[in-house]
Amino acid sequence: MDETVAEFIKRTILKIPMNELTTILKAWDFLSENQLQTVNFRQRKESVVQHLIHLCEEKRASISDAALLDIIYMQFHQHQKVWDVFQMSKGPGEDVDLFDMKQFKNSFKKILQRALKNVTVSFRETEENAVWIRIAWGTQYTKPNQYKPTYVVYYSQTPYAFTSSSMLRRNTPLLGQALTIASKHHQIVKMDLRSRYLDSLKAIVFKQYNQTYETHNSTTPLQERSLGLDINLETKFKSGLNGSILAEREEPLRCLIKFSSPHLLEALKSLAPAGIADAPLSPLLTCIPNKRMNYFKIRDK
Amino acid sequence: MDSYNAPESTPSASSRPEDYFIGATPLQKRLESVRKHSSFIPTPPRRKIPQCSQLQEDVDPQKVAFLLHKQWTLYSLTPLYKFSYSNLKEYSRLLNAFIVAEKQKGLAVEVGEDFNIKVIFSTLLGMKGAQRDPEAFLVQILSKSQLPSENRQGKVLWTGWFCCIFGDSLLETVSEDFTCLPLFLANGAESNTAIIGTWFQKTFDCYFSPLAINAFNLSWMAAMWTACKMDHYVATTEFLWSVPCSPQSLDISFAIHPEDAKALWDSVHKTPGEVTQEEVDLFMDCLYSHFHRHFKIHLSATRLVRVSTSVASAHTDGKIKILCHKYLIGVLAYLTELAIFQIE
Repeated sequence: MDETVAEFIKRTILKIPMNELTTILKAWDFLSENQLQTVNFRQRKESVVQHLIHLCEEKRASISDAALLDIIYMQFHQHQKVWDVFQMSKGPGEDVDLFDMKQFKNSFKKILQRALKNVTVSFRETEENAVWIRIAWGTQYTKPNQYKPTYVVYYSQTPYAFTSSSMLRRNTPLLGQALTIASKHHQIVKMDLRSRYLDSLKAIVFKQYNQTYETHNSTTPLQERSLGLDINLETKFKSGLNGSILAEREEPLRCLIKFSSPHLLEALKSLAPAGIADAPLSPLLTCIPNKRMNYFKIRDK
Repeated sequence: MDSYNAPESTPSASSRPEDYFIGATPLQKRLESVRKHSSFIPTPPRRKIPQCSQLQEDVDPQKVAFLLHKQWTLYSLTPLYKFSYSNLKEYSRLLNAFIVAEKQKGLAVEVGEDFNIKVIFSTLLGMKGAQRDPEAFLVQILSKSQLPSENRQGKVLWTGWFCCIFGDSLLETVSEDFTCLPLFLANGAESNTAIIGTWFQKTFDCYFSPLAINAFNLSWMAAMWTACKMDHYVATTEFLWSVPCSPQSLDISFAIHPEDAKALWDSVHKTPGEVTQEEVDLFMDCLYSHFHRHFKIHLSATRLVRVSTSVASAHTDGKIKILCHKYLIGVLAYLTELAIFQIE
């Protein structure tokens, strides 16, 4: 087993909380039942990890196996990332093809490999016709960086893909291209919508897109409540109380306001009856479902 | 409107407690009123803006670097009876034995936890406000790792330190048998804090109490830390309010660019070298009014739970993180004041 693979698996397993370890290892389904039974999970974590690496070595784990483990970790810890939403569209008059998952995966991978030569692309399909994609980016000359991957969750029956906000912005156009072409769309745009909670984002975008999605999943609670609301303000300070404060300052105050709650929309609605907000509520607080945006920029006119 | 001088020049460095408090502090006023059994008539308290004190410049930045950028849980601590700085090695040994014994009893054992630990007591030289303040000291629990790959020293599992910054008002009230270190800061597993707390309480007949920070003091901290001169800012200035009324809580975070926060403060600030209640109130009112203008929400009707600046951040649950070495003593001085108030 390659040393870099071993190190990567080790670091991934170290991130996993002890109480989730057996669940995630089972979902990974790489180490056999027999192998797992030989591990004493009540030891110090370092010892458990040491043992698991040894077992992975026995089975000759590859980078693909390691990448799959990483996807599963991320599926359990979605909230660690902030997710952006991309919306794709077909060209005018284009037919709606039947989606072929195999063809999509091949096409997606090929596009990235042709462009970058060094890239690790991994897939894991889940229910709801969704596929999780993990991309570790390299360049023509450097090996992929396994520690800064981008994750994409694409719902194949919809034009939406959710991506983990990545530091490696230079790869965003290529990623967009690969998604669009592989899924047989024409165009892709980034929506002004982001959250740590995939379920919240799904509730906002899917509610409008596909009525049948809702009826299939009527037991899913309305997750838009755990969405956040971010407002970026750059406005001059104007005080009613005391005209001289910051009167000479030309520059605006640069502020970022965030509202968050397990039940955001309901919480905001309850502010006026409680006397904390003046009624009617500011439109900034009520337009998330309609505008399908949850971050705004306000500037002085 | 009275005119005021342009931003003050740095006053000469001084380490007397009177230079920290100009006029009576809220603590002294409250004590006064209790003694006189009179109703507390608030006159605006004042506090000096933290500056680099003479003593603080003796503190080796490298030695205290590990205190910065860590979250500390705060406690007030009553004076320690018959504590001696010459017995630190002995205390290390005794506490070590106590921890091992407690853990073997099956109390607070976490899965995979190792009993192979080492306890170290050490003094933190220079960590004081006035010469009279007792020396601060540090307790650390280190793991002694079994695995050959890790270095021999092992990693730090838990840290706690005891200090007293400008603690005159408390020092004056106790006899020589007592050592006053009213501020205790802990970082690490809560279970360890509990065990160590128990040992100290038994050994020195003292009492720990969690130190919460109310909205009034958080506002003061925000104003004072915004008032501190900074060469460059490492963090945005941020306030967090919790709204209790909704079915479940709503958190409102208001982050403002630190240069803009400073500009706002400078516009409000009148008295060179010190911060007054009036200025704190006006500073906060400006933020409330700016917010209200856009959102029609009255932040003053909600609960301030956290303030964060490039100097330090503090949470109402009694958690603090200090980011700036230059104002470490200033931050601790305020916290010492709160701790002493809680003890009395």
